[in-house]
Amino acid sequence: MDATESAAVLARARQGDSEAFRALVERHSRSVFRLAFRMTGNEQDAEDVVQESFLRAYKQLGRFESRANFGTWLYRIVSNCSVDLMRAKQARHDQTRGESLDEAVELPANDLPTPERLAQSAEIQQRVQGALAALSPLERAAFTLRHYEGRSIDEISRTLGLGTSAAKHSVFRAVRKLRAALAPLRSQES
Amino acid sequence: MKHYSEDELTLYYYGEGRRRANVERHLDECAACAKCYREIAGTLAMIAAPDVPERGDQYGLEVWQRIRHRLPEQETGFGWFGRFAWFDGFTGLSRSLSVAAAAAVLMLAAFIAGRTSRDAAAPPAAVNAPANAAADRDHAEGRQRILLTSVADHLDRSERVLTDIMNAPDSGDISSAQGWADDLLTTSRLYRQDALEAGEQSVATVLDDLERSLLEIVHSPSRISAADLEQIRRRIDAAALLFKVRVMSDELRNRETHSGAASPRAPIQKTS
Repeated sequence: MDATESAAVLARARQGDSEAFRALVERHSRSVFRLAFRMTGNEQDAEDVVQESFLRAYKQLGRFESRANFGTWLYRIVSNCSVDLMRAKQARHDQTRGESLDEAVELPANDLPTPERLAQSAEIQQRVQGALAALSPLERAAFTLRHYEGRSIDEISRTLGLGTSAAKHSVFRAVRKLRAALAPLRSQES
Repeated sequence: MKHYSEDELTLYYYGEGRRRANVERHLDECAACAKCYREIAGTLAMIAAPDVPERGDQYGLEVWQRIRHRLPEQETGFGWFGRFAWFDGFTGLSRSLSVAAAAAVLMLAAFIAGRTSRDAAAPPAAVNAPANAAADRDHAEGRQRILLTSVADHLDRSERVLTDIMNAPDSGDISSAQGWADDLLTTSRLYRQDALEAGEQSVATVLDDLERSLLEIVHSPSRISAADLEQIRRRIDAAALLFKVRVMSDELRNRETHSGAASPRAPIQKTS
């Protein structure tokens, strides 16, 4: 879909043409899923975010400014849908999540593989996932955007609708928590 | 020697922050900061991007099939009057809500117009500065009262919708509450933007939380399942939303009552 065609499709979709919107869904679904998966860390949650994001996008298309980039606008919706979903999940599973992280961190040190093996191991990823899951939804979203997606603090601020300082501190808090949770692995390395 | 904080070193790791050359020089000279930086970099280097499960070429089509029957009505950018005309066909309660929402929008428009016309009509040089300052203050207080009243009314209406959802039967038709929620949603966004512009961060935060719940209500199926309804309720509970809405409404009315004596930007107690 070239730029002219894309603009025409967007214009039709904004007028309520569902076939045009279908073209947008087909075009962007995979990238939306990728971001949603990185944000939520869970395939089923990512699928829910994909659907919810497109439903929100369709509803709000009238407010989309045609000179803006649809992908960037959609990216913002996906990020916020992910935060919403994680908040809802956190409310339900706070207790369980805390316990699972404690278990992950409290593995006996002598069960840890060597640093060389750790670098490639599934266990380190499991621990990382546990640590990420213990972050607040906003911290996780900000960290994902900074660490995985390579977004600047200013971009994170705009994407999540936060002030620059709030975006920055969400990343800082996430890094501090991750450092604390992954410290046992680091001490094994040194 | 000034040391760099963990946060500053985190920014440096991500290629952000000011005076990067200074940080770099410092890390060459300071063993303590260099050690802290190595630890940060070492931890973050462990966190590799997760492998994203593959989605095939037909994935977009699959997503479309899942959502095509659930597409909501599109919001219109500025079609307020058309929107209210459409909504007017519903029940008396809905109609009264439409009128209330329209009134709120008109008050908001008056509030914004007042601000704009005031700015535009300002004389180039104030001869009677004290009199003008007093008039400005009166005008600002008047605008502030309009905003406080409008937002407090909006919060009261929102509280009724949330209460309806909390007390609804475990499954059934919530289309009536959805209609109200949908109507409140657009108004809420306008108030939130205005609250942000007015520096009322606490008001904006409550309105933001409120919007999320209203969105969830609007996007749910009209014939909602018990599980979905329970999910919405849990989220309202988890955010202590009803409590926040009530407290904020009371605060605003209290400020409205005392706004003649208090400063126009009296701080609002944070509710979260």
